[in-house]
Amino acid sequence: MKNLLIGIALLPLVTSPALADYPERAIEVTVPAPAGGGTDTSARKLAILLEEELGQSLAILNVAGGGGSVGVTQFMQARPDGYSLLATWNSPITTVPQVQQTVYGLDSFTPIASTSETAYTMCVKPDFPAETGAEFLDELAANPDKYTYGNDGIGGTMQLAAERIFQQRDIKAVAIPFGGAGETLQNFLGGHIDIYGGSISPVLPYVESGEAKCLIVTSAAPVEALPQAAGLESLGLEAQETLLWRLVLAPAGLDQAIADRLVAALEKTVNDPEYVEFLATKGELPNVVAGEALTRRLQTEYDGLAEVSKKLGLSQ
Amino acid sequence: MDTIATILSSVLAPGPFLAMIGSSILGVFIGALPGLNPVMAIALLLPLTYSMDPLVALAMVAGIYNGSMYGGAIPAILLRIPGTPAAIATTFDGYPMAQKGEAARALKIACWSSAIGGTASALALITVGPLLARATLAFGPAEYFWIAVFGMASVGVLVGNDAVKGLMAAVFGLLLGTVGLDQLSGVPRYTFGQTWLLSGLDLIVILVGLYAMPPVLSLAEKADLSGLSSRDLKLEAVRVPWSEIKSIIPTWIRSSLIGIGVGILPGAGGNVAAFLSYNAAKNASDDPKSFGKGNPNGVAAAECGNNADNAASMIPALALGIPGNVVAALVLGALLIHGLQPGPQLFHQNPQLVGGFMVEMLLTSLIILVVGGAAATRVFAQVQRLPGVLLVPSVLVLMTVGVYVINGRVVDLWIMFAAGACGYFLEKMSVPLAPIVLGLILGPMAEQNIRRALLISRGDVTELVTRPISATIAVATLALIVWPIATAILRRRKAAREPANTAPQDRTTP
Repeated sequence: MKNLLIGIALLPLVTSPALADYPERAIEVTVPAPAGGGTDTSARKLAILLEEELGQSLAILNVAGGGGSVGVTQFMQARPDGYSLLATWNSPITTVPQVQQTVYGLDSFTPIASTSETAYTMCVKPDFPAETGAEFLDELAANPDKYTYGNDGIGGTMQLAAERIFQQRDIKAVAIPFGGAGETLQNFLGGHIDIYGGSISPVLPYVESGEAKCLIVTSAAPVEALPQAAGLESLGLEAQETLLWRLVLAPAGLDQAIADRLVAALEKTVNDPEYVEFLATKGELPNVVAGEALTRRLQTEYDGLAEVSKKLGLSQ
Repeated sequence: MDTIATILSSVLAPGPFLAMIGSSILGVFIGALPGLNPVMAIALLLPLTYSMDPLVALAMVAGIYNGSMYGGAIPAILLRIPGTPAAIATTFDGYPMAQKGEAARALKIACWSSAIGGTASALALITVGPLLARATLAFGPAEYFWIAVFGMASVGVLVGNDAVKGLMAAVFGLLLGTVGLDQLSGVPRYTFGQTWLLSGLDLIVILVGLYAMPPVLSLAEKADLSGLSSRDLKLEAVRVPWSEIKSIIPTWIRSSLIGIGVGILPGAGGNVAAFLSYNAAKNASDDPKSFGKGNPNGVAAAECGNNADNAASMIPALALGIPGNVVAALVLGALLIHGLQPGPQLFHQNPQLVGGFMVEMLLTSLIILVVGGAAATRVFAQVQRLPGVLLVPSVLVLMTVGVYVINGRVVDLWIMFAAGACGYFLEKMSVPLAPIVLGLILGPMAEQNIRRALLISRGDVTELVTRPISATIAVATLALIVWPIATAILRRRKAAREPANTAPQDRTTP
């Protein structure tokens, strides 16, 4: 807060930003999620390392609500001067615009870099009549509307990730939306729903204790922690990959030199052993994608999710 | 036995011990300031503890959590402003007590009740918690629907003298609860195209406006230039006689059990526990009419209930890895950061740390007695001595800052002021405010869960009452509604029969 105030006080004094000296004052990072959540802790941890790397302090501003769209909308007022950044997960950028009217689109941003990622998984009870990812999909396809799967909310990334796979195989399963992975897990363990759908780390202890059998992950490659779960590539569905990933964005029109400076700083801090270890505790892996490649990644995911939400009748 | 000794020695080491004391004091202050809440404080504090000993980090969580639950009672009693949502029920009898000049006694009872509730809850966490946790899995959407309905049925206790106004307030609360993106269909409701309404109306924002503004405005109306003189404050050494303590003991036992029961169920919070405890205390009382007019049992029930929720809410989090509320989710996050995977194996893999955290929950409950009883109460009670011209702007500034930091949105301030204006006028028309909050909390819980239950049963309504647990809660709800009506009818008949002993009886008996 103090840094923020100093930053505002200095604003009139800085007439032309000398790029060579960037950053010469505090950077404000908008996190479109409440303090304490996954995106927030990732951003705060990264900010501590970035402060050392950039030699300036970073002020985190949490603006929560609307599945992230409230914070991103507010961020649209920021100027592309390198002192306002957005640290978000992919959903507010690629998923939310499919189901809500938003004032922003992909072209509203200068993509800086992605930081980390994790897949979603689908798990069943040990007595479920399938042992592999292929058998799992076959069982679901053979019994339309028989099974219920929990997810993180209608039109949320988890549901769309599952439906992208289901639509390819003409699977009809009943989506039961919950408030989050914890609630989904509770209802799965209590036997109220047949399939757990959500992030990997909450369900991991139950895979080890034999109470859950995870048969599929939504990444193309399999996940080390879940040896029984098939990656989408082995099922011929690699085009349907949907991940939960985190990224840093700036407003559209950011100077290339500043973007490059930030990419270099992120590349170094994200791969810092301390940060990699921190990510591992949450079941996430570092993956820095920047520049053109990041723009393509966003566009591919956006188009894939647009298609599936249109078929589900969720599109705006 | 060895484990217990090592746990105690590691918890009582200087680091964790100082952290417990410091964070309990901090917690009381956070709870006492409307708008500031433990969730925010813990969320902001935890990142700073990443490099610390996990027991120190968890000591801070325990202290802030337990301290703030008591702290919320201080402004609730002194100013009728609940410091946290869970302290609403404390205002019902705490403020009337303060008006009768019994503020110090009310604060003392609140402090003891908080400590007792917290201690009972921590003991439950240590002993039966892990065993009970499994049982809570049997609660699915159908059961949660009935819990919400049961909570709403208790609204009858809160409506006050005018049932119509009370029910109108409850329905208003239900309506407010429908605003925002519907989680089950993804459809925005009553958002009028405004992005900031998509996530619905934030409970704390509404609560601060609705509950803190009317007392502040009525203080401003008086525009008194002088506060209470220190002589009128009567803070020194209030003795609560043993006879009174004895009369509160049943309330403490009942409220502790209710708080623990509500806490162990993921998804229902301290505010629900406080309402239900208050309701139960009133129903069990010989003199229910004295509630709301400064009955110490009302304060005891509310404060004991909300603190008993605390440690119990950690049971599903630690035993199953399922966080029942945001604080529990933050604790899980902290454990993960230190390389501990919550879930069934946590107790076997790391009894030291889990045990240590449980003991810290217990000790911080006891620290409240010292911190709250001796220090904080005295400091905060000085607030009453401030003249209105100082108090009104100070409270307004604190509220505004507190509400702003929740989501970092200016629009929340407008919502708060709108809710405040609403609350002010409703109060002038003697419409009770508590049913509004209850509707706002329980409405979405009931609605989402009945729809989930029907999705799972493919639209079969009988599923709602054929499952054993849901059937039990449904019957209890029905009894809660029917019982007062039945007794009222019986009493009226009796009353009608007795004075007119001759006329009607002549007709029936030959």
